[in-house]
Amino acid sequence: MQNLLNGIPLWWYLVVSAALFCIGLYAVLARKNAIALLMGVELMLNAANINLLAFWRYLTPASSGGLAFAAFVLVIAAAEAAVGLALIVSVYRITRSIDPEKLDQMKL
Amino acid sequence: MDLINDLLKIIGDFIAGIINSIFGFSPFLADLVTMGLAAVMLCTFAALSFMGLTYVERKVVARIQDRVGPNQAGPFGLLQPIADGIKMFTKEDTTPATADRWVYNLAPLVIAVFALTTYAVLPFAPGVVGTNLNVGVFYIIAMGSGSIVAIIMAGWGSNNKYALLGAFRTVAQLVGYEVPMLLNVLPVVMITGSLSLVDIINQQTTLNGNPGIPFIVFFPFSALVFLISGIAETGRSPFDLLEAESEIVAGFHVEYSGMKFALFFLGEYVNALAVAFVFSTLFLGGYAGPVLPPYIWLMLKAAVVFFIFMWLRGTLPRVRVDQMHNLNWKFFVPVSIVHLVVVMALMKLFVTSPALAQANGGVLVTPGAQAAILFVASLLILIGSLAVVARRARILRLQEAAVLEQRRAENIAAVSA
Amino acid sequence: MTNSEIMTIHQALFIVMALAVLGSAIFVVTTSNLFRAALMLILTFFGIAGLFVLLDIGLFAVAQVLIYIGAISILIIFAVMLTRGMQGMVPRNSQAVAAAVTAGIIFAVLLLLFGPFRVTVDVARWPVFSLFAGNASPRDVGGIAWTPPNQPIPAMPETYIADFGRSLVDGNQYLLPFLLIAFLVDVVLAGAIFIARQRRPAEIIEDRRRQAEEAAEEAEAMRQAGMTPDVAPLPEGAVASTAEH
Repeated sequence: MQNLLNGIPLWWYLVVSAALFCIGLYAVLARKNAIALLMGVELMLNAANINLLAFWRYLTPASSGGLAFAAFVLVIAAAEAAVGLALIVSVYRITRSIDPEKLDQMKL
Repeated sequence: MDLINDLLKIIGDFIAGIINSIFGFSPFLADLVTMGLAAVMLCTFAALSFMGLTYVERKVVARIQDRVGPNQAGPFGLLQPIADGIKMFTKEDTTPATADRWVYNLAPLVIAVFALTTYAVLPFAPGVVGTNLNVGVFYIIAMGSGSIVAIIMAGWGSNNKYALLGAFRTVAQLVGYEVPMLLNVLPVVMITGSLSLVDIINQQTTLNGNPGIPFIVFFPFSALVFLISGIAETGRSPFDLLEAESEIVAGFHVEYSGMKFALFFLGEYVNALAVAFVFSTLFLGGYAGPVLPPYIWLMLKAAVVFFIFMWLRGTLPRVRVDQMHNLNWKFFVPVSIVHLVVVMALMKLFVTSPALAQANGGVLVTPGAQAAILFVASLLILIGSLAVVARRARILRLQEAAVLEQRRAENIAAVSA
Repeated sequence: MTNSEIMTIHQALFIVMALAVLGSAIFVVTTSNLFRAALMLILTFFGIAGLFVLLDIGLFAVAQVLIYIGAISILIIFAVMLTRGMQGMVPRNSQAVAAAVTAGIIFAVLLLLFGPFRVTVDVARWPVFSLFAGNASPRDVGGIAWTPPNQPIPAMPETYIADFGRSLVDGNQYLLPFLLIAFLVDVVLAGAIFIARQRRPAEIIEDRRRQAEEAAEEAEAMRQAGMTPDVAPLPEGAVASTAEH
């Protein structure tokens, strides 16, 4: 068993990230609040980041591809949170509700 | 001389030696105990300096405001911090009935933890550093942003409208002032080529073999903006909008009493002291200095910086919310970006290492000349931007005066009519 | 320092972090108290930063704390505070069970893909599938060796941060995505300010007046076309009264 880092095999990280992704997916599918939905998206992006960085560290730490993509995910997550929350707050101001099921009109 | 200079390191090695001999059977356990002990020592240092600082600050501010300050407990009131501590311990610990209990009780712990973790990367003397993290500067700023979470927890958990107002103000202020702070650490990081605090100090000690120059000479603008953003980040006067007693009673910690309040107080002071340490490390050369032992130098520099904090607190009135935001977003951030670009270009143009000059081109200069060039550029940006702001402020003042004059004339006309 | 001790400690740390991450994530998606959900989300992010430390990527651990905890969580908490009217509603919608089942199935598939487990799948014995693939032979699924077996993990270069920085501005590597991301952040900055901006009363009045005019015009056009309007035409002066608000 040579392929351990700090005594941890790669698949531990992968399984944690898979579980985190599915928890986030559940939130996106089942929550009734747009902010909670966004939290689920953040969880999924984080799971993707764990995967990217774990694969990078275990397989190709000499190049910086994994780091670059993880950084892009980080930036996009921040951008998505900023725009998403701005939209949610704006929608709440107009309709007094942020239940995504009730937001079924093209015009507010 | 070596004994005095390396005192901290020798004591540390001695204690580590004892621990290693006790836990000789398991080196890992010995490491764990040594690290734990070091962490406890750092926290104790921070907590003790908190006690000392409250006394010194009260004395200094009293002197500035022509008062005496604490003078009853012990000689010169020296036992005042202990008396305060006993008072805090014995006070009733109240919890509002409508508070969100978990959040309310966790908040003081979170703020203290985030404040204390900053000390893990501060180098106190050569070889005396919790851990020489290769992302030290980044780590300190990240941990500083953690205290925002604690303040929001306190503000929301108290279920009090003043506390919530304080939390709202906190978010706006602390998140905002992180930006100029980061932007003004960057010149230092760029000229050092490393994020590690030890490397930054080494660079200031010896610059390519020559005796080093502290970075405040290279970047006076960055030093000034970092200092002011640091005050705003720790929520000290004149940026104490998040707990302004006269506006929102005490902001986020209005509902706290006893030891929980003391923990908030501790977090605030420990954070401010950490900013003083970081400023000394980044811009004043850290522990580097002649004659005196290194840890004394660091303490002296931090003490001077903290004295500036107290001085500002004793003399300046609190800024308004709009002034605070204008200062950040309309002055610090844009001018910092301009400064960053100018400094970056100058550092590419005037290089000190022959290898870099050969590889990338540019004019080869001595470190002293580079420092002089950067100093002049940084100072010019500072003076120029200040001149613009002063002009603008004068115009605004004149407009305001005109409006007041007009109202006065109207009032007089109304009264006489 | 014997190897076995180090292993157990790191493994123990990993397990603690993983449990913190997953436990708090489950709390985040099940609780109805949104503020606490946001706080537990911070714990999740912290645990993930811990996982990055165990991966020896200190840079991303710190970036995780700075960006996710210092910025995104704060934003989320802020949004929760601004939408206080939505506190305490039912956390799940009607498709929660289906969502949980879907997530569970996807997790099972991912577990087979990522984990070391091998499962023998015999499609021919499955009730419905046997109709279509009755003569398929059983085959093993899963247990992919992601790391080359019995090869040490390559060492990470000491200068990985500097290398990473250079790769972002290297025309042969990630310069274009980096510029695109920078552009995206610019656009997002402007867009977020534009969306969340408090609209001035004058603008709101202007909007209402325009809407009222449009509705009136529509009704007029329909009347001229000989149809009965499905909305009552606005009474005289309605436009003026909305403008007075």
